[in-house]
Amino acid sequence: MKRTMQIASREFLSVVLTRAFLIGILIVPIMMAVVVIAISLVPKSPAVSGRIVVLDQSGLVGVLVEQRFSDEGVREEAEADGRKVKAMMKDAMSQVAVPEATRTMVDKQIEEARKASPAGKGSGARLSVELLKPDADIEKVKDEIRVSQIRAGSDGGTPARLALVIIPEGAVRGASDPSEVRGESDVRVMTWEPHEVFVNPQLDFELQTTINRRVGEAIVDARVASDPRFQNLGLSPARLRELMHRPSAEVKSLTREGEKQSAGALQILVPVAFMILLMMSVMSGGQYLMTALIEEKSNRVMEVLLSAVSPMQLMLGKILGMMGVALLLLAIFGGLGMAGLVAFALADLVPLFKLVWLGVFFIFAFFTIASLMAAIGAAVNEMREAQTLLSPVMMMVMVPWFLWLPISRAPNSTFATVMSFVPALNPFVMVIRMGGSEPIPAWHYPAAAGVAMLTAMAAAWASAKVFRVGVLMYGKPPNLSTLIRWVRMA
Amino acid sequence: MSDAAVVMKGVRKTFGDKVAVDDLNLVVPRGVVCGFIGPNGAGKTTTIRMIMSILFPDQGEIGVLGKRSAMESRDLIGYLPEERGLYRKMKVAVFLGYIARLKGLDGGPADAKVKQWLERVSLGDSARKKCEELSKGMQQKVQFIASVIHEPELIILDEVFSGLDPVNRRLMRELIEEQHGAGRTIIFSTHAMFEAEQLCEQVFMIHNGRKMLDGSLREITAQFNPRSLIVETMNPDDAPQLSSVPGVARVSTGSQRGASLGVVEVSVDEASQPARVMSEIVNRIDVRRIEIKRVTLEDVFLEVVRRAGGGDIDPALLARSSSGSSESGGES
Repeated sequence: MKRTMQIASREFLSVVLTRAFLIGILIVPIMMAVVVIAISLVPKSPAVSGRIVVLDQSGLVGVLVEQRFSDEGVREEAEADGRKVKAMMKDAMSQVAVPEATRTMVDKQIEEARKASPAGKGSGARLSVELLKPDADIEKVKDEIRVSQIRAGSDGGTPARLALVIIPEGAVRGASDPSEVRGESDVRVMTWEPHEVFVNPQLDFELQTTINRRVGEAIVDARVASDPRFQNLGLSPARLRELMHRPSAEVKSLTREGEKQSAGALQILVPVAFMILLMMSVMSGGQYLMTALIEEKSNRVMEVLLSAVSPMQLMLGKILGMMGVALLLLAIFGGLGMAGLVAFALADLVPLFKLVWLGVFFIFAFFTIASLMAAIGAAVNEMREAQTLLSPVMMMVMVPWFLWLPISRAPNSTFATVMSFVPALNPFVMVIRMGGSEPIPAWHYPAAAGVAMLTAMAAAWASAKVFRVGVLMYGKPPNLSTLIRWVRMA
Repeated sequence: MSDAAVVMKGVRKTFGDKVAVDDLNLVVPRGVVCGFIGPNGAGKTTTIRMIMSILFPDQGEIGVLGKRSAMESRDLIGYLPEERGLYRKMKVAVFLGYIARLKGLDGGPADAKVKQWLERVSLGDSARKKCEELSKGMQQKVQFIASVIHEPELIILDEVFSGLDPVNRRLMRELIEEQHGAGRTIIFSTHAMFEAEQLCEQVFMIHNGRKMLDGSLREITAQFNPRSLIVETMNPDDAPQLSSVPGVARVSTGSQRGASLGVVEVSVDEASQPARVMSEIVNRIDVRRIEIKRVTLEDVFLEVVRRAGGGDIDPALLARSSSGSSESGGES
């Protein structure tokens, strides 16, 4: 046992004390940070100056479009956008339950972002509107737009024409079919004539969207403004928009301890987080184990080790050492997750006994997978040869992904219950079930753990046989049937 | 089981269709240095791995240090595998400390011993280097330390001299003699005939998985009657006349250097006594020096392989290397 522990501690340190391991742990948060920073650094849209040519056949929309592209119109739009984002955030946060402190922080950041770019979207662009007379030559304007040069900033002279908007009269004063009257007489099905937007092919996509949106909103405003019924009520388009805004409440769950913010979407995320944690730590530990074995086999350290310890001690030591590595990973990432939950005052989503069972199922899942990986590592000579043998193990790990939704939504269904007793899969299934919303019968925990333990023992027993034969076998890589023969033989 | 260091009885091992070792019987008494020779692919490493219980024989019995297998007396055995088995990224001293602990030494004494041993093989400066930074010869020395650090009773060295320069070969020879002097049993396989001759009390040769020779060096060389004379004529031009002497089967000039000095090797035919032929030559030609060629282990080795049909070795190659054998020493 002492020697097994010697091997285990060497294996543990040889992985943990490498730069690669450290980088591997840090890479995910670093990547996330890099992406966030990169996104915030990307300019919203290029600084383009140019003219948007509007041919307004209704005589109502042109002025409104012009207004929307004026400095004041842009500012107003930005403020409205800010309100909308805030509302959306509030909506989203009511789903995941965010404490008050975080909420005010988010509000402040939205505010700041808005101040930083007063013009809101399309801040870099300086666009002006040019209204055409109804009898203007459209084809000539199109030709001009087709070849116009998109330039940044204004270098004097008239800005180039970049886009053409044609608004037919029918876009504002829609046609109504008197035969299609529904209910009360003034609720009629309206048909609108579509407006058209032509742009220079090089025009930035976001500017195209901005133009399209502002023109569309101007048309709606024109429709409202030109409808005598709204005028009679004294309803302005802006007022109407205010009225149409949909409110959203903060959902609170009624628990024995009192009213609480509902955990919302997080409730679904906890089981998947459990499963990902388990899978990630088990697989990376197993991978380390397999690569280490292949390397030792190819540089023949194996023989020196086997002259000092038995194959069983060697395998056990290696599995224990790598289990330490996997446990460390589990603790780091699981700890981060728990820290997050505590920070959001949601720690009671994951009670302690569930964490204990997570640990138990981790040990059995790891032993099962690691034994198989050790057998594969011992049987082959190169990483390349390991790939084919790995696919059944990979399958075993992939299956829970398909089970996640059906099981976490209905942890007590017959399907879920049966799956918790299928060897090799059941640690993953149990981890999903216990993360789910409904509590599962208490006896399922020890019973499933028993099955998992027997699976782990069987895997270790079979792997030890393959390990003993394979570890000094060089040459042709074995296939699955050879491995099975080794298990029977030894 | 007898009290010998290693006993093998009727051992057979196959890999698929290929018979690696067949009907092998061997007794290595305690305290001797036993050389284990044979051509490439003869089954030496397989035999050693079976003694080490790394592989298991299909048939037959193996006893090690009075126990049923090396498993039971693992800590009393030191083993140096044929290929260098070092963790490339591990520091030399850390690696040796780890191996020492695996072999049952405690931490403190293990580290002190590692330091002492590294000094002994003049690798004191390399203790903090990574194993991959060492040269092949240095790695071999580290490997040797790994095999003896726990003061085993039986030391098994597979191809211990390969990759060593003359200085380190001599050092390795001294180290082996030192271990021998401490009363340990040493079995080493080698292609270095010179070292084997210098060190071995017992020689054991296998070819194509079967035992060819087993006995003390003296016994073995005695079996191979010397049928060659080394003759140096006073006048180099007289050398061709030697072939006309009765009983001379063949005159070979050996190397270029020998020929220019008038030194030739004379093979005596099967029917004649070497001593008779010698006096015949002295009667007919003025010679500066004439002697019966001493049989070396290398000659024995080549002769055994030739008689066994050479296996997969080209007979022409054997004949050629035989005539120039006295010039080439060491590894062949």
